[in-house]
Amino acid sequence: MVKNKKKLRVCLVASAGGHLSQLLRLADTWKGYEAVYVTTTEVMQNKLSKYGKVYIVGECNRQHPLRVIKVLLWCIRAVLKERPDVLISTGAAVGCIMCFFGKLLGAKVAWIDSITNVERISLSGRMVRHIADLFLVQWSELAEQYSNVEYVGTVI
Amino acid sequence: MIFLTVGTQFPFDRLVKAVDELVGRNGFDEQIFAQIGDSSYQPQNFKAIPLLEKKVFDKHISEASCIVSHAGIGTITMALDCEKPILVMPRLKKYGEVVNDHQVAIAKRFEELGHILVAYTEEQLPDKLKQLKSFIPRKRKANPDAVANRIRQFLNNLSESRKG
Repeated sequence: MVKNKKKLRVCLVASAGGHLSQLLRLADTWKGYEAVYVTTTEVMQNKLSKYGKVYIVGECNRQHPLRVIKVLLWCIRAVLKERPDVLISTGAAVGCIMCFFGKLLGAKVAWIDSITNVERISLSGRMVRHIADLFLVQWSELAEQYSNVEYVGTVI
Repeated sequence: MIFLTVGTQFPFDRLVKAVDELVGRNGFDEQIFAQIGDSSYQPQNFKAIPLLEKKVFDKHISEASCIVSHAGIGTITMALDCEKPILVMPRLKKYGEVVNDHQVAIAKRFEELGHILVAYTEEQLPDKLKQLKSFIPRKRKANPDAVANRIRQFLNNLSESRKG
């Protein structure tokens, strides 16, 4: 098969659980592009591998700094190996990390903040907002509260 | 049948116990069936199973007259998609039931919008459960296509600019 050089490489990033299930509701969107998935645990690995290559980078949060370093290293590896043109993430920490690394290497960033963030954008989202090329929220009130944030509807 | 579901990621004994004690105390005129996940409390007054298969779970949601649940977004949106009255009790961080109090914020917002009933404490549960039978939830429609279209547009523009 001849590889289409013009085809965008899209990297989809989400923590296992609610973040990933919101992301997968949009899976038809990147059909036809080269898709790579990055997630935190193996729970959905089988399902994801039907859509594209999968990287499991481990769980992390601010309470476990050592684990964060490990996840950072796995993320660097994934981003260097795949060199995505664009990253799309619903969160959480892993999405944030991948978006920053991707951006450093020149990729575009699209963020969809989880519907569970009602009163304000997630911590990860608040950081990514500054580098995002597209930033969607799932509550119209949040779009009024922040600049460069769009509301077009809810994923679930 | 009232379907009680508390999610599967963490236990939520407080809700299972509150419903069980309520039924034990006052009886209840409708059958209750529960999916209790990792909860260690075993209810005495209704049947409970740790984990249902996804298909069976969906069937219980669609066949239930009402749903009682933790304030998980998945269960709330599912109940609303099926137009079922749902009463939720948010998990609280202070009891170690969840990592933060996002369920309280979710419950509050959906309650304000008229979509759900909320018992913020065990004490509020009996009254809210009474209200649930006649509660008509305000309809809600998710719009994943709108979100998908916006992302599609974003990717198309990106594709075009790379080609050019």
